Amino acid sequence: MSATVLHYLNQFFGGIGGEEVADLPIQVRDGPVGPGRLLQRKLGPPGEVVATIIGGDNYVAENRDRALEMVREALNHYQPDVVVAGPAFDAGRYGLACAEVCLLAQEQGISAVTAMYPENPGFTTNRRHLLCVPTGRSATDMAQIVDRLASLADKLVAHEELGSAEEEGYLPRGIRRSVVRAKPGAERAVDMLVARLSGQPFVSEIPVVAYDHVPPAHPVVNLASTRLAIVTSGGLVPRGNPDHLVSAFAQLFFRYSIADQSALVAGDWESIHGGYSTRAVNTKNPNFVVPLDVVREFETQDVFASLYPEYFVTVGNGTAVSDAKRMGATIATELLAAKVGAALFVAT
Amino acid sequence: MAKELERRGLPVALISAIPMIPLGAGANRVVRGVRVEHVCGDPGLSTEADRALRRQIVGTALKALQTPVEGPTLFDPANGSVS
Repeated sequence: MSATVLHYLNQFFGGIGGEEVADLPIQVRDGPVGPGRLLQRKLGPPGEVVATIIGGDNYVAENRDRALEMVREALNHYQPDVVVAGPAFDAGRYGLACAEVCLLAQEQGISAVTAMYPENPGFTTNRRHLLCVPTGRSATDMAQIVDRLASLADKLVAHEELGSAEEEGYLPRGIRRSVVRAKPGAERAVDMLVARLSGQPFVSEIPVVAYDHVPPAHPVVNLASTRLAIVTSGGLVPRGNPDHLVSAFAQLFFRYSIADQSALVAGDWESIHGGYSTRAVNTKNPNFVVPLDVVREFETQDVFASLYPEYFVTVGNGTAVSDAKRMGATIATELLAAKVGAALFVAT
Repeated sequence: MAKELERRGLPVALISAIPMIPLGAGANRVVRGVRVEHVCGDPGLSTEADRALRRQIVGTALKALQTPVEGPTLFDPANGSVS
């Protein structure tokens, strides 16, 4: 019995062309094409790439339903044991198409595996439901990726239970499985600490996000001629929270006018931050979060030139690093365009 | 977020009641605040004293913005002077 694979590629890897043919409707070819040939060689016997679906990136993005219908027809016709999509590397539309193809296959009860750069939106928007091998941004590591795709495809076909993401080389899906370890956690923690203190290698069980180093921005040379802006993660919003800023896991920031105010008035503002007791801020003094009263004093004394008419706010409670980065970048763009030269960030 | 502003060349003075956290995350100019519940001030003080404290904190932040630093640096209002 031969394990059959259906391979999905875009117009480029399918050898048809580049962006100029991105509108290519779905085509189905018998046998492997391009990287599919490599995939076939890497599959354990009796694996076979019986067909290749080639889809134009734009076609699939703009005609999703029709494209998926054509993929479904191909799935019904070939009845593969497993679907392999990509690798898409960092190509966003291709990654999304691969994800859609995998999800469709899985809906039909067919196992699927794909590969793309971890930040490819095809993965980030579907991470819980996709078996995805991480790749770099470019196709230079194609051979190694196809190798891993083949090995996962073989395991899927054999209905082997997959080990952890780290063991098998796929991206974590956020699925937590209980396992029994040989030693209790306290012993493992002490072992890890002893190893760390004595300079021995150790492996973290839960990797903590590593923060990158940002070189300090040059200091302000002439504060008196500098425009200042206030940003906060303290969750301070106009009373009533008109934009419904969430109290945790914020992905959005808002801005509120402080243009004609010399201080924030208690009662007009509230903090909706879910990570600290907001009683003092809400009942006594909103300036604890956005210190407008003293900032205006310094402005009146010409210590700095002017204050940006709005402050920016989000909630720093369980905020994902990626969301924080994105929000920071968006605010930065606006402030730079407005010739703001420095910022006060009140953190919570 | 502050690092993203800084990455694009905007100096940021970050006021935090738990400076270890932003310092550990790599924020370069960190000013010590009072408490998480009231970072820039103290409700237990009189109105005037609270305002003076807030002035001291923000003043330290303004000073920090003008200070060259090599990496994550703590500016403590208790030590520093008002600008």
